[in-house]
Amino acid sequence: MKIGFPRALYYFDYYPFWAGFFYNLDIELVTSEPTHRGIMESGLKMAHDETCLPVKLLAGHINSLKDVDYIFLPRMVSVEEKTYLCPKFLGIPESVSAAVDGDIPVITVTINWREGQNQVLKALEAFGLKLGKGKAMIRNAFQEALKWQTMYGELRRSGEDFEESLDLCEKSFTILPRETSLKLAKTNQYKVCENREPRPGIALVGHAYLVNERYANLDLVNKLRANVDLKLIEETETKAVENSLKGLRKKMFWSQAKKILGAGYSYVDDETVDGVIYLSCFGCGMDSVSQDMLARRARKAHKPYMVITLDEHSGEAGLVTRIEAFVDMIVRRIENESNLSAYGKCLDNN
Amino acid sequence: MKVTFPHMGNVWIIIKTLFEMLNVEVIVPPLTSKKTLDLGTKISPESACLPFKINLGNYIEAAQEGADTIAITGGIGPCRFGYYGELQRQILKDAGYSYEAVILEPPDGSIPGLLKRIRYLAGNHNSWGRIMKTIYFAYQKSVAIDRVEDLIHAARPRLENKPATELLYQKALASLVSVTSYRGLEEVVRSVQQEIAERQAVQNYQSGSGSDPLRIGIVGEIYTILDPFSSADIEKQLGFLGAEVDRSIYLSGWVGKHVFQGLAKGYRSMKSYPRLAKPYLGHFVGGHGQETVGSAVKFAQKGYDGIIQILPLTCMPEIVAAGILPRIQEACNIPVMTLTVDEHTGNAGIQTRLEAFVDLLERSNCLRKKVPKELVSLERMC
Ligand code: SF4
Repeated sequence: MKIGFPRALYYFDYYPFWAGFFYNLDIELVTSEPTHRGIMESGLKMAHDETCLPVKLLAGHINSLKDVDYIFLPRMVSVEEKTYLCPKFLGIPESVSAAVDGDIPVITVTINWREGQNQVLKALEAFGLKLGKGKAMIRNAFQEALKWQTMYGELRRSGEDFEESLDLCEKSFTILPRETSLKLAKTNQYKVCENREPRPGIALVGHAYLVNERYANLDLVNKLRANVDLKLIEETETKAVENSLKGLRKKMFWSQAKKILGAGYSYVDDETVDGVIYLSCFGCGMDSVSQDMLARRARKAHKPYMVITLDEHSGEAGLVTRIEAFVDMIVRRIENESNLSAYGKCLDNN
Repeated sequence: MKVTFPHMGNVWIIIKTLFEMLNVEVIVPPLTSKKTLDLGTKISPESACLPFKINLGNYIEAAQEGADTIAITGGIGPCRFGYYGELQRQILKDAGYSYEAVILEPPDGSIPGLLKRIRYLAGNHNSWGRIMKTIYFAYQKSVAIDRVEDLIHAARPRLENKPATELLYQKALASLVSVTSYRGLEEVVRSVQQEIAERQAVQNYQSGSGSDPLRIGIVGEIYTILDPFSSADIEKQLGFLGAEVDRSIYLSGWVGKHVFQGLAKGYRSMKSYPRLAKPYLGHFVGGHGQETVGSAVKFAQKGYDGIIQILPLTCMPEIVAAGILPRIQEACNIPVMTLTVDEHTGNAGIQTRLEAFVDLLERSNCLRKKVPKELVSLERMC
């Protein structure tokens, strides 16, 4: 049996979990190709006009999956206590497959951590049984899946980039023993930062499926890495993220926004971070809240801050100009730090 | 303390009653206008939804009249409305308005915490018994408003003298504002019923009974379907175009669900919606996305001629629903139109689309099932 997994949306946060789960169930998981023009275009055509770019891309990826027995679209309601994911995640199995309407049947399972790990396991058991697997196997697969996800998280925090981490994570469970891969990760990390001029530190925040989506974001991460010391949410300690959210009057109820805001607030207070970039996309309802909150915090702390809003028409030239302007501004600011203050300069909004 | 609150259609009548009967000073924001929206849009995040922007405008206008405390309901997601109270407080503060925001929700699930907030708003001079009684009366008033609205929905397409119908509606609302007894509520509803019946009798005598109007179900995001300003008064426009409208959510249903946690079911219960939605959307998606899908199925089953969904631009739950409605359109063979609204939506644009939609429905009219002719049908009485 071959199950298709679209390389979009939850792929960028939770693929290791699902890869581990299906691997241990002895089921072959096939991902769609990395986004390319054809995928993007078909997604734009098929998805609902008003929806956000990541969901449109998901539609394109679903459409591009061929030669599989099923397409797997989990309904990820919540991945930790007392939070939700975006409302759109809750309706994915029905709303996006309605848009694509292919012949390959969709299978789904509801993941809701609000009700505790046991409920998640129960849901997965029911799901696995339908795929013809035994209970013991499913339980084991679940435990393994959690390990895969943890390993991926560790690799990211060690400074490994997105694709590498996924790759290493998978290999460490399937080919190499775990130790080897971690060591590998560590050595890689130190190679990078030797003998360099000090460069401005910039933090990039945003949804994982925008930050790691190289095609849609025009390879923003590498473009930035070429000029600055880049910090990403995935590389930031969970503790720091949680601590910086403590001052909120009302708890944030979306996991994604919690990560973005928590990390974002910590960057605003972090002296090694000279500027913050928020990568958002057109039509994201969640960002209208979290982006605005982070912008306010940055403005108050006089931290340079910029929003990049992706849409299907985002062009390379415009992006490069904006990054350059932002980085230049920060470099000038650092140079003038002691005498001439550039405080309060902000390039919010486009 | 001078309390204010956001506008949402006729909800101000209920909230004004509530605070006044508890002897709390309340400032009703000036009715939402273009100016309100402009004021709100100026300090809102660009991609916030229309209700967010309107409400910020309401607060600014209320501040100009001396309000210093906002009462607003909250939520724990996944719809972003749950965070609006807190975000709006921050925005207003940064813009120089010193508002206190009291978010009526159990903070971190704590009921005593909620009670404390209610106590804060109601002051120490009210006993809990009195507070509960007043809330219940306000709820009953919302039921009365819903009944009046429903009668007007039926009257608009049927009575020829349109301005007279609107006048009747406005007069009824005006009397409901000041009514403080259950009997008074009943009387207002009765008098509306009676006046419509009389006018129809005269009309039938003079020109014979007309044909049955088209029936259109309005579904979608709660704020925009309850607030005529945000939807270019779609119900009135459709009424004038000769269609009878019904909608998925009524004010009392919302009050029943949010204030009484579902213990009071409201004028028209929303309980069946999740079950009806199930074959198309098997899980709630926040806001009223699942209700939109469920009510669309209900309208289709009841033989309505068409369905209109109102979707504030970037509204996440309604976008999910919008992706699914085409399936219902196909399965139930009922035309569905989605109207997206934001601060740039002009009344003229909406009017053209409504005209085209009504036109389309009239043309496919021959397939239509018969609806009862008499105006005040049994369903409306209960
Ligand atoms: S969080 Fe934003 S970008 Fe992500 S699915 Fe929801 S609306 Fe789209």
